[in-house]
Amino acid sequence: MEILFRDKSLIPIWNKLLNGERLTFDDGLALFRTNDLISLGKMANWFSYQKSGDAVYFVLNRKIEHTNICVLSCKFCDFAKKKGEPGAYEMTTEEILSKLSSGIREVHITGAMPPDWKWERYLDIVQSINDKFPEIDIKAYTAVEIDFFHKKFKKSIEEILIELKNAGLKTMPGGGAEIFSERVRRLLFNQKIGEKSWLEIHKTAHRLGIPSNATMLYGHIETLEERVKHLIKLREAQDETGGFLTFIPLAFQPGDTGIKPKNNFTSAIDDLKTIAVSRLMLDNFPHIKAYWVMLTEEVAAIALNFGADDIDGTVGEEHIAHDAGAISPMKLAQDRIIKIIKEAGKIAVERDVFYNPLKIYGRNIIGKIPYLNSIPIYHNLKIDSYFTLPLFPHRLGEMMSNGYIDAGLISLVDYLNNKEKLNLSRWCLSSREKVQSVLLFSKYKLEELENKKIGITDETSTSVKLLKVILEKKYKINALFEEFHQPKISFQEFDAVLLIGDNALNKYKAQNPEFNYKFDLAEEWFQWQNLPFVFAVWVERKDLLPNLSDDIIKTVELNIQKNFDELSAIVKQYRFGVKLTDEEIIEYLKGFNYKIGDEELSAIRKFEELIRETK
Amino acid sequence: MNFEEIKYKVINNIRIKPEEGLFLLQKAPILELGELAAFVREVKNPSPYVTFVVDTNPNYTNICTIDCIFCAFYRHPGEEGEYTYSVDELIQKFRESAAMGVTTILLQGGVNPNLSLDYYIELVNRTTKELPDIHPHFFSVSEIVGMAEVSRLSIEEVLRKLWDAGLRTLPGGGAEILSNRIKKKISNKKETADQWLDVMRTAHKIGYKSTATMMYGHIEKDEDIIEHLESLRKLQDETGGFTAFIPWSFKPGNTPLEKIIPHYASSTRYLQIIALSRIYLDNFAHIQASWFSEGKKIGQIALHFGADDFGGTLLEENVHAAANYVSKTNTDEVINLIKEAGFIPAQRTTLYQIIKIFE
Ligand code: SF4
Ligand code: SF4
Repeated sequence: MEILFRDKSLIPIWNKLLNGERLTFDDGLALFRTNDLISLGKMANWFSYQKSGDAVYFVLNRKIEHTNICVLSCKFCDFAKKKGEPGAYEMTTEEILSKLSSGIREVHITGAMPPDWKWERYLDIVQSINDKFPEIDIKAYTAVEIDFFHKKFKKSIEEILIELKNAGLKTMPGGGAEIFSERVRRLLFNQKIGEKSWLEIHKTAHRLGIPSNATMLYGHIETLEERVKHLIKLREAQDETGGFLTFIPLAFQPGDTGIKPKNNFTSAIDDLKTIAVSRLMLDNFPHIKAYWVMLTEEVAAIALNFGADDIDGTVGEEHIAHDAGAISPMKLAQDRIIKIIKEAGKIAVERDVFYNPLKIYGRNIIGKIPYLNSIPIYHNLKIDSYFTLPLFPHRLGEMMSNGYIDAGLISLVDYLNNKEKLNLSRWCLSSREKVQSVLLFSKYKLEELENKKIGITDETSTSVKLLKVILEKKYKINALFEEFHQPKISFQEFDAVLLIGDNALNKYKAQNPEFNYKFDLAEEWFQWQNLPFVFAVWVERKDLLPNLSDDIIKTVELNIQKNFDELSAIVKQYRFGVKLTDEEIIEYLKGFNYKIGDEELSAIRKFEELIRETK
Repeated sequence: MNFEEIKYKVINNIRIKPEEGLFLLQKAPILELGELAAFVREVKNPSPYVTFVVDTNPNYTNICTIDCIFCAFYRHPGEEGEYTYSVDELIQKFRESAAMGVTTILLQGGVNPNLSLDYYIELVNRTTKELPDIHPHFFSVSEIVGMAEVSRLSIEEVLRKLWDAGLRTLPGGGAEILSNRIKKKISNKKETADQWLDVMRTAHKIGYKSTATMMYGHIEKDEDIIEHLESLRKLQDETGGFTAFIPWSFKPGNTPLEKIIPHYASSTRYLQIIALSRIYLDNFAHIQASWFSEGKKIGQIALHFGADDFGGTLLEENVHAAANYVSKTNTDEVINLIKEAGFIPAQRTTLYQIIKIFE
């Protein structure tokens, strides 16, 4: 991609991005200060494409504010009321349940801090929703509320979070971060928890397996320096835990808060810049959200080309939808969101709270495995009028068998399960001997794993099946398997753990005192079968038009060749989040074979046979 | 055809063809299009200024017999809520506006069969005589056609009489989509696309300047948008009479078209249209961001996608409120919006002469 920079000071920053280098504080500031809006947007959109392809996520959701009665009186709050004041309200659990209906996938619950609620009442809200609507994912209680619970109910943060998790809490919203600056906190938010507690609570949640969001409130009295610092602090926390799902910049709305920012509302230019700079600075955040309720639908739509890959959802359907009679407001809001995403030139993906895709609205989609090992196929892959959607292998297989995706590299097991719908093409991801990215970390030798507890990733089924085949057939071992979600920080509860992709690569490089042994499954397979192991195969849907299929095959063929020729130049871009040197990346990629040959076909057949025989 | 080839042409100031325009509209990513449009903007208008005009936008009558299915404004003769202002009332309004610093009055109304040509002539005459500081920017093509029908004169005769009364510019409304097929569907009784262009041609030959508009986002296809731009570009080659192009999106609220088009076009589409028109209309000096119809925030963004004018301050709504204070705020707000977008605001006349710069 070429950028006609009007602000030349952005060029070194662009070069850093192309080299996979992390941006500094000064870079962030320069990005905020530029008037070259389009160049900034192009950089952020490019970066977003590396992470999310052409996808823009949305969710069918509902926001619940269970009470506005608050013991605090924050300066900028025009929501809170004192008990007994006109307009004060508290919702019972029944009232909350009555606001929900099936069809909704996520509920977002936050509220003020009433003086007299019991802990059980908060738990009950979560538990009751979970009981009555198991398909609705619960995102509830900001760090400010968690801190309030901790102090009021004299329970540790851990206890609070564990009880909520057990009741059905899936994730935590990102509110209450405001801006990480003591100066501003003293002036505006002196009743709120500061950055230290906010970050600590989120990191604790992550450790307990509760992912969360993060926010930043901008457009009041904060400086640009304070914004950049805020982003860097979030980036550091994310380096530690990996538990943040999405970042949501929130434009300050003066309302009747009594705070007078310079202008009444943030300008559209500031809104777009903030989205773009966040995308570029938060290189380790999977998603950036353009929260349309605050940004306005119009600006949120544009933000989808300035680095945002999430537009929230149908939350305030009464605002977004234009009442046209028979169609339900929810459906109308959904149609509107899909139209906005489509007109932005992106693919609308309906998601759950963890960003797993549920439905895709759009056609002509190529699926992509988001691991380093697929770069030779996917780098710069532009198939005319096709969109790209990166998904974890397991989800990719699911979406392909549902007919949402036309072609792509999918996990071998997913292909074997859907043979009647899919055509095997010429490429694969296979390896002889060591692969480095499908690893079993273990406290014991393989032959000692009888009845031991093995944690298995839910990202793919092929490696899991391979592990089972090896243990059962080669070592005659029966182990206990338990699935886990990434990101996961601690594997203490397991005797062994199976990791794949970039997570495995990174752990391969790191010191792992908790696990004495490390087994490369491709190597195990090779020593046993004297065959390469095929992890993934390129497939196309059988009902694809032949000319489309030809187009795809031709383009992929040329692309692989070109990428291998330029490998040393292109790997640089992919250094984000991978703890390998350029040379190690190249060596790693060269360890794979990307063409399907006779050996690969025999390996696939052999593996298929073996899985049929295993339990 | 590919984007790179078209980009090369645009950068080298080579006119692009209709099919290339269509390609840009359908295939070019929005930021690529915006980048190219911003480039063209800088070539055509290298100044850091974004212009605006201090104007009001009153309507003299809402009586209309044309029944456009996208219109939420009109009333039939005799229907409840209909109104028509007398010349005296209008002059009084204009006088109040002039006192607030308004320089341009953009006046339009329904096509009201009860008004004689004399009404219009008198209105122009008195405005130019009594309010020398006001530039009348009166009457869209539909109204001119209506005047010709009522007075049984030719379009040219009507335009000449208005010219003699002192009218020098025309607003470019009523163009919708300049495709006979589309206009027949959404405004069956209005002038056709060809007639619209003919009226403008005649006006430009007499010496009038005008803007040109486009209303998209209803039943048109991408091809119709290109046809619209192509017709304007051709006529501009011939007459040079257009000052600026102003696109806006159809808003379905309270219109009969609403049933077919429940969702109006998104803001991305608006930026695409702004950028495409900046690239395609290579003989137009200015592209106007219509913050009034698309919202202030999108107006700001459009300035980075090829628009170099912010339209009018449109004070009308506030004329009868605490007039002076409100009007000042409106102009100040426009100035502030332009500054926030990273440009220098400059007040202009209807004919795009800069009269004051707000550094
Ligand atoms: S804690 Fe929340 S609800 Fe309570 S006053 Fe502060 S901002 Fe408002
Ligand atoms: S001519 Fe003008 S006023 Fe009359 S219906 Fe059409 S758009 Fe409305």
